[in-house]
This record gives sequence, structure tokens and C-alpha cells, in this order.
Amino acid sequence: MTLTATSFDWVRQLVHRESAIVLAPGKEYLVEARLLPIAQKMGLPGVHELVEQVRLRPDLSTNRRIVEALTTNETSWFRDGDPFTALTSTVMPALLAARGPSERLQIWSAACSSGQEPYTIAMLLSDALPGAASRVSITATDLSREMVERTRAGRFSQLEVNRGLPAPMLVRHFTRAGNEWEIAPALRRMVTASECNLAGPLPRLGTFDVVYLRNVLIYFDLRTKQDILRRVRQLMRPDGWLFLGAAETTLGVDDTWERVVVGRSSAYRPVRGA
Amino acid sequence: MRALVIDDSRAMRRIVGGILEGFGYEVVPAGHGREALDVMEGGFVPDLACVDWNMPVMDGLQYVSAVRSNPAWRSVTLMMVTTESEHGQIVKALAAGAHEYVIKPFTADAIRDKLALLGLLPEEVTA
Amino acid sequence: MSAPTGPTTGPSISELLDADVVRSIADDVWLAMVGEDEVLLPLPGPAPEHPLSAWVEVVGPWNGAVVLTCDRATAEELTRCVLRANPPEHVVDEDVEDAFGELANVLGGGVKSLLPGPSALGLPEVGPTPSAAPASDTCRVDAQWRGQSLTISVQGATPASSHTERNEVPL
Repeated sequence: MTLTATSFDWVRQLVHRESAIVLAPGKEYLVEARLLPIAQKMGLPGVHELVEQVRLRPDLSTNRRIVEALTTNETSWFRDGDPFTALTSTVMPALLAARGPSERLQIWSAACSSGQEPYTIAMLLSDALPGAASRVSITATDLSREMVERTRAGRFSQLEVNRGLPAPMLVRHFTRAGNEWEIAPALRRMVTASECNLAGPLPRLGTFDVVYLRNVLIYFDLRTKQDILRRVRQLMRPDGWLFLGAAETTLGVDDTWERVVVGRSSAYRPVRGA
Repeated sequence: MRALVIDDSRAMRRIVGGILEGFGYEVVPAGHGREALDVMEGGFVPDLACVDWNMPVMDGLQYVSAVRSNPAWRSVTLMMVTTESEHGQIVKALAAGAHEYVIKPFTADAIRDKLALLGLLPEEVTA
Repeated sequence: MSAPTGPTTGPSISELLDADVVRSIADDVWLAMVGEDEVLLPLPGPAPEHPLSAWVEVVGPWNGAVVLTCDRATAEELTRCVLRANPPEHVVDEDVEDAFGELANVLGGGVKSLLPGPSALGLPEVGPTPSAAPASDTCRVDAQWRGQSLTISVQGATPASSHTERNEVPL
């Protein structure tokens, strides 16, 4: 174990600052185990050296990787349910009616993490609207390169596939690969993953019909929230749909969105002429 | 809400039972499928049965088939909780009539997520 | 005790899986069953003073056992963690057989799913460490949990390793 008390303390403060999660004393083993792979990937001998490096040369991307490695993975499939069922029950039929027969539909999963969200969307479309699925492109982005690589790989651990993924969908869309489960190649082809920092200028990712921006605005201050929503809107069709996290809203943040009830959830649509 | 926890491992019965009790369930344990059927025939018809696969006397698959072939027990949701994790095994279980499938090892959150999918999570717990 | 018999037929474990995949199975088991912040450090530790093992036998195209070994005190600590949803007031032998045995069972289940099928697991057992198998048919993972040594050994059945022979008192 290379982690010193000072290093541990620095990591604790970082995690608290970035995620509000408190790492109690006694979690040194956890920190050592979870950060060792990051240190090794960066060619460093141990966790102590990793911490020293980021203390001396602060690096947003590595900080995020450290925080992610230490905070419990909350990612589940179909998180909150309704924003996904709304896609097949209401949003997609509306879009299919509004668009021309050969137009591709574009969906953006804007904080895709390890890939559960974009593949949830892919599975749903493939099951509920198989004819339309071939016309849909799903763009998945995340701040973290590691998460983007995970999304590209489409492989999930036994623990991950236990989280909110209906068993019939597991067997329909996944096969075993070693100790993991791998998404079917056809669904993997529907998803294109890339790195993207929402808090900065956005690359021209596309013009999206549907955006899932879930549980990411909460990490930012009001000003940044507004910037992000404005930039996201610029990448959306005027009649597009935006889904936020269950506890999030544009109310009080950006009045150029109109909240609409879709099934048992809400979506936000650009206000015309705003 | 009532649950049957069926597993030949006492540790597993305690673990699953503890999780379900934490969600507000009244839990009755059984050591194998035949024991579970006896409990049900005795009048305790659960909303949910969490059942292991490999057990003596009557295994989980046989139990699932027995429950699904009895119209009086149509309301019982059957969730297998087992180490059997091969693709073919899960397909077999679902074909026999299991509604859901949890692979061991599992976390309390995994059980919670599955129950939410099934509409079997008491409202107070969804927060 | 007995003279070694002829070579075993069938694949050796090194053709079927490696230490990395066994580690990943163990990591999942620890996270889920021992506690969400519990980790296995991939480092060997000093041999346990009073070793205790839990194991399940595997029967199929490959025959052997998945053996979990640590100090008896570690096994008791693990038991307390595994039963945390419904903790016993005092951890007794029966609790250790249950919980420590169940850890081996779930580890065994994970390993079984990687083996050529159909394979079946025996019931978990807890007791003195079974004899080792030849290195060529053993996949061994050494780890530390909370600073204590822990070993997971996926080892082939040897003609000499039957229960009765282990308990036989030499004349």
C-alpha cells in the first residue's frame, strides 16, 4: 500500500468537492484498490505517485476519473423508466410522422457513462419499433475517455446487468463474453461514442431530434447550466425533445423551453421563436 | 406484501429475506421447492417468490413450473435468484415461467431495481 | 498417502481460464456480498496462522474444486459482513459454515459459467484446506482483504484428493 495519509486526505477532499460524497477514514484500501488501475494505465508505479502527479499538475480529466472510480456506480438500465417508455410510446411516433420517410433520426445520450443509457435506447427501439430502429443513430458522449471506451465496447459485468435490465431483454440482446455480457453487434452499431465536455464549446455532433441530458446539470452552477442548455439547444431540431433527470427542470434556469407531459414523465421542447 | 424466499442455503435465505424485509415485505423462508409449495398450499400465497435453482427434493425450475401450472397462483410473481448465469439457463428459466431473474452475486439495489420493474416495490421505498 | 495414478484426461484449468478472470469474479462477489466498499487487493499476504477453507467441487468436462482459504478469524469477519442485513449477535461455527460456504458457492458459480458444460457444483463445504493439485491444473489468486491474506484456488481433482483419504490417520 503506497497511499500516504496526506494523499488520502487530498483524494477525500477532491471526491467531496466533485461529488459531495464523503470518504470516511478506513477507506484507504478502497482508494488504493480503485485507483491502482488508473495509476498503472498512466504508467505510474503506484497510487501515491498518481496523487502526487495530479496535485502538482491539476488535470480535469484525471480528476474526474479518480472521482468516478471512487463513487458508487449508480448507473442502471432504464433509469426511472418513464423517460424511456415515453420515447417509444409518444416521441418516436411523433417524429416518424413529422419526418420524411428517408430521413435519419438522431438521438443524443449526453452523459452516457458506461453505456447503459444509449443501449437502453437501442434495445427499446429495436424491440418496440424495429422498422424505425434502422433509421436511428444514437450519439453517446461523456467527459471521460474511459467511459467512452466502455460504451464503445458494449460489455457489462454481471453486477451491472443485474441493475434494472429486464431478464427477457438481457437474453434477447446480450451474449456472454468471458465473465461479462456483450451487447448484440447490431445494437452496438446503432451507437457512436465520443468524448465531449458539456461545459465547453460543443463539437458539431449533429442535429438531434431527441436529447437525454440526465443527472448531469446538477453538477454545475446556474451560469454553467444555462450555457449548457443553450449549447444543447443549438444542436437540436426546433421540434426536438429534451429529457432531464427525474429531479431536474429547466424552470428557473432557462425560459426558452416548454415543459410537456409525456406519459408519466416530462420532456422539454424548444419554445418556438425564442 | 408477502414474499417466499426459497433457497437451500441458510445464508442466502437470511440475505434475501433481510433485503425484502427492509423493503417492507413479510417474508417466509423455505429450503426447497416442495417446502415452498407446502407453505402455499397451507394458505400463504405470496406476492413474490424469490427462488434459487439448485436445491434438493425439488429444484427451482420444477417449482416455477408447478406454480405456473396452477391457475390459483397466477398472481404470484416468480423471480429466480441463482448462480446459474449461462445465457441458456436464463432462457430456460424464463421459458418455464419465471418472470424475472437475478444472477448471484447481487446487491440490494439489484433486487430493488427488479422489484421496481415488476411494480412490486412498496411506494415508500421508491424515494 | 497414495501413489499417484495416471495423468488426468480432459483440459487443464490453464486452458480454460486465467487469474484475471477469477479476480474479476471475486471482485463482483466481494462488492455484492461482503460490502459495496469492500475490495480485494491483488497482492499476496503472509500465510494464515490458522487457515480455514470453504470450497465447492465442480463436476463436468473439467473436474476440480474452487477453494477459498484464509485465516479462521478472517472467515469470521467475512461472515459478519455477509450477514450484515440480519447480523447474528455472536458469530458461531454454523454462521461461518453458512456464510463462508456461500461465498465459495457463489465464486464457484461464477467459475462454472466459464467452464465447458454441462458442469455442476457440489454443496459448499468448510474445513481444513484440501490438498493442492498439480500446478499445471491450478489457477491461483492471492489477495488481501482488509490487510488479511486470502487465496482463491481453482484446482483440478487429483486422484489422491478424496475426503476419506484426507481424514485417514496414517498407520
